[in-house]
This record gives sequence, structure tokens and C-alpha cells, in this order.
Amino acid sequence: MRKVKTERLTYNYRKAARFLRYGVLAFFGIAVLTCILNIVFLISAGVVYEKKEAWYIYGERVMEALTLTQNGYTLDGKMAEEFEKNDQWAMLLDENGRVIWSIRKPEELKEQYSGPEIARMSKWYLEGYPVQMRVWDDRIMIVGMQKETMWKYNIEFSIPWMEFVKQTILIFFLINFIWVAALAFIFTKRFMRNRECARIEWIAGISHDIRTPLSVVMGYADTLEHSEGLPGEARQQAAVIRHQSVVMKELIADLNLTSQLEYSMQALRKEKVRPAEVVRSVAASFLNDSLPGELKMDVQIEKDAELLCVNADRQLFARVFRNLINNSIKHGGKREPVEIKIALWEERGKCLIRLEDNGAGYSEEVLRRLRSRKKAASGGNIRGLEIVKKIILAHGGKIRFGNGEEGGGYCLIRLRQMKR
Amino acid sequence: MNLYDCKILLVDDEKPLRDMVGSFLRGAGFHKVTMAADCLEAEELFALKEPHLVLLDVMLPDGDGFSLFKKLREFSEVPVIFLSARDEDQSRLRGLGLGADDYITKPFLPEELLLRVTAVLKRVYRVKGMQEKEVIALGRCTVDLGSGVATWNREAKDSTEMTLTAKEYAILQKLAQERGRIVTIDALCDAVWREENYGYENTLVVHIRRLREKIEEDPSHPKYLLTVRGLGYRLV
Repeated sequence: MRKVKTERLTYNYRKAARFLRYGVLAFFGIAVLTCILNIVFLISAGVVYEKKEAWYIYGERVMEALTLTQNGYTLDGKMAEEFEKNDQWAMLLDENGRVIWSIRKPEELKEQYSGPEIARMSKWYLEGYPVQMRVWDDRIMIVGMQKETMWKYNIEFSIPWMEFVKQTILIFFLINFIWVAALAFIFTKRFMRNRECARIEWIAGISHDIRTPLSVVMGYADTLEHSEGLPGEARQQAAVIRHQSVVMKELIADLNLTSQLEYSMQALRKEKVRPAEVVRSVAASFLNDSLPGELKMDVQIEKDAELLCVNADRQLFARVFRNLINNSIKHGGKREPVEIKIALWEERGKCLIRLEDNGAGYSEEVLRRLRSRKKAASGGNIRGLEIVKKIILAHGGKIRFGNGEEGGGYCLIRLRQMKR
Repeated sequence: MNLYDCKILLVDDEKPLRDMVGSFLRGAGFHKVTMAADCLEAEELFALKEPHLVLLDVMLPDGDGFSLFKKLREFSEVPVIFLSARDEDQSRLRGLGLGADDYITKPFLPEELLLRVTAVLKRVYRVKGMQEKEVIALGRCTVDLGSGVATWNREAKDSTEMTLTAKEYAILQKLAQERGRIVTIDALCDAVWREENYGYENTLVVHIRRLREKIEEDPSHPKYLLTVRGLGYRLV
């Protein structure tokens, strides 16, 4: 079980890297968004507060509007109107707690207040009326509102607690930040997976739909090619159609395989595979299908390597060698005969396979594209090699392409060995 | 029974494909080809025509080929060749194993289809033309694969017979099947020892040597059973 898990991990490495990239992007995106949101919130809260402030009258303004004349205190007319409008009231106490001035004071309230009463209303309510207090020289200005219009609460914290908060507030925010980031990551991952699934299904669907009409094209082209009644030229043309249809068939299969390898792991049906056997059988089938003298294969398998096993998808594993040999034949530089050397050996517990041809070697451009990590839009002669690379990487192996000293191109594959 | 008298039922929802395959099969000599477009029609026609072989598309409008296949298997052992348009089906078909006789991935060339159809029909119904090629000629030596006896005509009258061992017989049969083509060591081991055939390479060499002693004029310079270095053997 554990082994399977590790393999999955290796396979998932590239996927994880991609998710990580998107995760980091999403993380910063969300961080910036949070900042913007906070700023917007603060500003709008400020605006709302500003407006709210004008809603009720507080002590300072009353004190400014109140003037002491010979006839006692007089309130500015505008202020008095405002009191009316806001349904508020106010009173001024002297140093003994006696009411020396008031406006709209509820009748139930007393004319004089004791020290304890004043202390109490300074924090809470006066007979249920919410009040604000301002000390004005030796007097106390009390501005009140109607009952049930204002919520008041006193908070206090001990100094050590505030110290503790000061110290931990950073960690607290960090934890919040991480939590948000993790959430973003999970959502990104889910989003990516959905998108990938959709894409794989789309490609699989398209390739499925193309296959049936292509069968018909291939079938009739083949029939025409072999039909005796047609002139030679027409039959030649039918042969070209058939051949091109076969090329299309391979393209579709490649497309499907590439998308499967890129985005899902269901494409791999791993089993115990002996590379020696696969290499031999692929090499033999190429020799069997080639004309005499056209192709030379030199398969060297060390005695110890005979029994090497790897955990691989047999079909895909054979595909690796078919593609590599095909590439050597098609793009090796047309040197006749094409010579391909395949060696298989064990090194430090790994299974190594090296395939070398006598062609012109890989061009700089091809090597650069094969070595790049980018998922470049592949095409032309490199497609087969990219599939090789993808298959090997999907099996958790390593692959290197290069040119030998004598000119031919080589490909070195390193795979983890499986215990027999 | 003649191979071409076999009745074939073709089930595929795509009319152009049906027409193409049908016309090709008829052109190849199979004159009893029936066609169905979906599961329902296929079942009806199956009961009516009792075909010898069913060519079955995996994706059908009213169900998939696999379930139709299982349904047919409940009361019939008729050979079935699947036509599949998805790569994913291949593995499922391989895993299925329980009686689908073969499968072909679309798109296919008509010869490919014909080859499989005839192979399956020959195997299942043992129609004529199968047992005749069982004698292989290797220069002055002829081997009868029916009896496993190698007969030598050294001089016109003088002939000696040598019986092949079971292993030698299996090796020669495999090579004869693929005559002219390279058969890898692994394929030979598989033919001879079946399961768990690792590590028999050395033993195989011994058997090949003994076989050469029986069929080659000069076993150290073989003319018919050739070694392909690093890969396997070839019977020419």
C-alpha cells in the first residue's frame, strides 16, 4: 500500500507543482483583495459614522451654544431647534449637583443629584435615559436621549491581558492568513481538476467521434485502392487517401494519449513488466516489418538485467521504444542502413536503458524543446519524443536526450526497479 | 461448413460504417451479413438469424456493447468481436477476457477486420483450411506438426524418422506459425513454459540445439533455424 502511495506522490509531483503555482497566485490575489476590501470597509464605515455623528447632539456643542447672561443661561436658537428635532434633552448641574439650566428635561427627573447618582449615570443610564456627560469647569453638562435609543457598555481589560494581545496579535493574523490561503488553495485545486476533467473528456469525445467517420474513409479508400476496375492513377490516389487516414488515426491516438498522460492518472495500468522482454519484442517487430538490409538492431542486455522488472503500463512502455525507434528511422538523417543500439543494464538499483542511432543526432532546437519544462504546443517530428518523455515521467522515471560523440542521437531512460 | 457460409451479425449505430463494413465483408465472400443499428434490433436479429459471429460496437444508442454482450452470453457461446472507438475500451476489453473473442479499435483497415473475422471463425468452428498446413518443409527434412515427427530424406530411398520432444515441438510450432519472422526468446519461452517463464533462456538454448540436431543438416551452421543475436530465433 505504502509503495503505491509513494508512486502516486512521485507522479503527482508535477501536478502538485502546478497547483502550488496556482495556489500561490490565488494566495496573493486573495491577500490583495482582502486589503482592498478592508480599506473600502473602513472608509465606508467612516462615512457612515460621520453621518451618524450628526444624528445626535453631544455635550461640547451644547456648551458652545450656551451663553451665560444676567438672566441666566441662554441657548442658541438653532441649537434649541435641533434639540426639538432630535427629541433630546439637556441639563447643566452645578458643583453641588443642582440643576441650574435645562432644556426639554423629562419631568420625572429630579432637580438635584448626589455624588453616587452622578457617578452611576456617568457610566450607565439615568433612570433609563441614555446620557452623555461633559465636565465644564466646575459644572457638569448632561445631554440625554429618549429611552431605548442608545446602547451603552463599559469595557475594561487588565494590562497583562493587553500585553498578551499585543504579543500574539501578529500570530493571530498569520493564522488567519494561512487559513484563508489554504481555503484558496483547496478551491483552486478543485477548480483546476474540474477544468482538467472537462478538457480530457472533450478530447476523448472528439477523438471518439472522429474515429468512426475515419473508419469509413479508410475502408472505402482501401477498397478503391484494390479495385481492379479503376485506372492506375485513381488507385494511386486512393492509396494516398488511405495512407493519410492512417496518419490521422495515429495523430488522434497521440492526442488522446497526450491529454490522458498530462491530466490524469487513469491512463496508467501498471503491472510487473520485464524491460528486456519488451525491448526485444519491439526490436523484433521492427526488424520483421523492415526490408532486409534497411535496419540494423543491436540489442545488448546484460545477463543480470534479464530479470529486471519495472512497474509500468505495458502498452505505454512498449510505445516508448516504438516511438524512439520510429523517430530514429524517420528523422535519423536517412543514413542507410539505420543502425540502432539498445542497451539495458542495472545501475545502483535502477534500471537503465539507452537507445542510440547512427543518424545525424537531434538538432539543438529539438533538444531545447525536449528539455524545457514547458508544455509547448508540440507538433511535427517532436511529438513522438514528447510522448516518450511524458510516459517516462508519468512512470516516475528520468529521461535524457542528447547527441553521442560519434554523431548519433541517444536517449537514456532511468526507471525505478521493482522487487521481484 | 465453408468459411464464407458463416452468418455474421454487424451491430453499429453509424449507417456509413455499417454499409462500408457490410459491403467489404460481402466483397470478401461472406454473403450472409445482417446488420443492426441498436441493441434491440440486434437481439431480435440474433434470435432470428442465429449468426456464427457478432461484430459489436461498444457504444450503441440504447445501451453499451458490453451489456449486450453479457446478455448474449447468457444463452449463446457465439464468438464476438468488439469494435471500439475509444482507447479506454481497450483495457476494459483486455480485462474482460471472459469470452470476447477479439476487439478492433476504430479506425481500422478492412484487411485487419477480415483477418480477425476469419481467424476467429476458423478457431471457433474449425472450418476447412486449418489443418492442412501442418507439415513444414525444411530442405530435405519435413516435420509433421500433427504427429511431431521429423522425417529425413537423405537419399531418395533412405529416410529416417525422429520424434520431437514436447518442448522441441512447442518451439518449432511457434516458429512455424511466425515463419520468416523473428520470434523473441521471451515469446518462445512463453510458448513452451507458459506462466512464470523467466530464467529459462539457458534451457531454451539447449532445446534449440537439440532441435537443430534433428532438423538441420549441419547443426553448427544452421540454415533454417537461425539465431538473431540478442533477440531470438527465426525459421526461414
